[in-house]
Amino acid sequence: MNRLISISTYILALLWALPFLGIVFMAFKDSSEQGYSLTFRNFIDAWNAAPFGQYYLNTIIIVIAILSVQLITITLAAYAFARMNFIAKGFTFMLILIQIMIPSDVLIYPNSNTIAQLGIYDTKLATTIPYFISAFGIFLLRQTFKGIPYELEEAAKMEGCSRLQIIRNVYIPLAKPTYLAFGLISVSTQWSNFLWPLIITDSDENRPLTVGLSMFAKASDSGAQWGIVCAGTLFIIFPLLLAFLLFQKQFVSSFMQSGIK
Amino acid sequence: MKRIPILLSVIVLMFGILAGCSSSTSERSNEADSNSETIDLTWYYPVNVGGTITEVIDKYAKDFNHGGIKVNGKNVTVTPVYSGNYDETMTKVQTAIKNGKSPDLSVQLSVDLFQIKNSIIPLDDFIKNDYEAQEMVGDFFPGFMKNAQTDGKTWSIPFQRSTVILYYNKDMFKEAGLDPETPPTTWEEVIEYGKKLTKKGQWGIELPATISGYWIYQALYLQNSDSNMMSDDGKEVYLNTDEAKEALQYWVDLNNKHKIMPEGVLDWSTVPTDFIEGKTAMMLTTTGNLTNVKNNANFDFGVAFLPGNKRVATPTGGGNFYIFKDTSEERQQAAFEFIKWITEPTRAAEWSMNTGYIATRQSSYETEALKEYVGAFPQAKVAMEQIEFANKEISVYEQGKIQKIIHDALQAAINGADVNETLDKAQAEAEATLKAYQ
Repeated sequence: MNRLISISTYILALLWALPFLGIVFMAFKDSSEQGYSLTFRNFIDAWNAAPFGQYYLNTIIIVIAILSVQLITITLAAYAFARMNFIAKGFTFMLILIQIMIPSDVLIYPNSNTIAQLGIYDTKLATTIPYFISAFGIFLLRQTFKGIPYELEEAAKMEGCSRLQIIRNVYIPLAKPTYLAFGLISVSTQWSNFLWPLIITDSDENRPLTVGLSMFAKASDSGAQWGIVCAGTLFIIFPLLLAFLLFQKQFVSSFMQSGIK
Repeated sequence: MKRIPILLSVIVLMFGILAGCSSSTSERSNEADSNSETIDLTWYYPVNVGGTITEVIDKYAKDFNHGGIKVNGKNVTVTPVYSGNYDETMTKVQTAIKNGKSPDLSVQLSVDLFQIKNSIIPLDDFIKNDYEAQEMVGDFFPGFMKNAQTDGKTWSIPFQRSTVILYYNKDMFKEAGLDPETPPTTWEEVIEYGKKLTKKGQWGIELPATISGYWIYQALYLQNSDSNMMSDDGKEVYLNTDEAKEALQYWVDLNNKHKIMPEGVLDWSTVPTDFIEGKTAMMLTTTGNLTNVKNNANFDFGVAFLPGNKRVATPTGGGNFYIFKDTSEERQQAAFEFIKWITEPTRAAEWSMNTGYIATRQSSYETEALKEYVGAFPQAKVAMEQIEFANKEISVYEQGKIQKIIHDALQAAINGADVNETLDKAQAEAEATLKAYQ
């Protein structure tokens, strides 16, 4: 029985890995040769198609900025919804939940209008600001905070902790797995965000990797150039892949604990 | 309470970094230039033929910026901004205009005209007073001006233009005992040749039915009918005529009846890949693919006029330059000067060689460079010669929705729905969509 389970695990793992293996296979394939011959030409061509060095830096800045601000905002909001009492609490929370259901593409025009009024069109701030608060993160963290015994907060209060100190010393350490899980989701979402940055920015100084990738991935008139597209995809997801491989254990255990699948 | 200052300082720092990164680039706006010495134009351009094209565009911009072209004594420069594919460019342009951040000019589909007509300016005034401009307009292939003109005005200038052409694999023709120099010229011949070319692992022909599939269908429609599938004013479409139904039936039969095309809906971007990999002996697709096929196919291939039925015909396609309304007259004039510069015969020729699109100017084909190129690669001439038989591409109000209706009908029929019913339904839907404009 155990053997059966482990065999089927391997099969499933292989199925999941197939698309990725396909990308690796195509990325190194020399498309002008019959059969398979190894080449790095695809990578060179893809890298030269856009200022990817600059884009890399931008993506990293954008992802880190969004995550840092999100961690602060969702912590405070989640605590308020989990432990504090205020007028229209239920209603406000509902509003935030509804926001999870609105696809962000629908908000492109109203958001861009706000950006224009703020006078920050074509800046990194414009790319990041709509994501500073995450409804999903608030929801997730609130559930975790609710599961933490209230006695711990009371004990901390007895010791003379202020509210922020309670959050810092009681809630945040206990919710670590949830933070890790949310961080992973936030980073991978922002890493692959495309349409909003494309529309709101004009200059290379502010554009992320995905905009560079789309230059050949979406060039429909020239047919699918699998080699270059796969090579580009590979070097764009590489940091995420590396991070996942390095922190695999922590990620898996955090997902188990926070109950996300 | 010690934590609050730390929290606050982190937030402040964050904003500081972001603002610092961005302040240098946010200056480039439309308002600031009335007193300054240069006019810096913003040009939105889509990429539809592969990544390295941005290099060519950047080089154009650099050359132009050093070219010293002046309007009202001010130097004109241009900043090209990549704006995704054609759809995304439309979204970006519309968003920017609504927010008062209008670009000065853009390249968008020639058929997008009715969708952005309220945001652009007609170019007749510029052309009227300018001998060079008149010469330019007269030199474009007349087929390419058809989609640019309506209401007796000219709204856009051709840039990267195409037609549908037939690509065929000469090696496979030889193998099947067909003459590689005589591709099929009629629908019957396509079927006859296709049957000889189809064998295990190899199909006779492929017609894509996604992305620009409506355009391929329009080619069949035009070949089977004396009139086009829409009215010139963009307010009516004729999707369920007998000719339309026959054309769709022919497409469907290529698979169902004659078994020379793969089953199901074929994807726009994988059809050329199939052709290059030798999975199909013929394909119908855009001339924009020519350079791709040339660079990647390791067999001898030919291109030819589309096989006709009642007549030989193709729609034109591709992108034109538009100039936007919400900028100063001076900027509009500057944008027009740039368009004149970039569509000069030598540059149109260069653009054609780099992309596979047809050079838009007739005199481009008399430049040394293009003559030499066509001499060594005669396939490049076919699409140009076919312009003689080119018709207006479908261009209507609610372009996106109408295209979707056509695609839905096309794909439903390919997947087995009844051709008559499908097209009747499509016509009813299209009429309902266009009702507001009657």
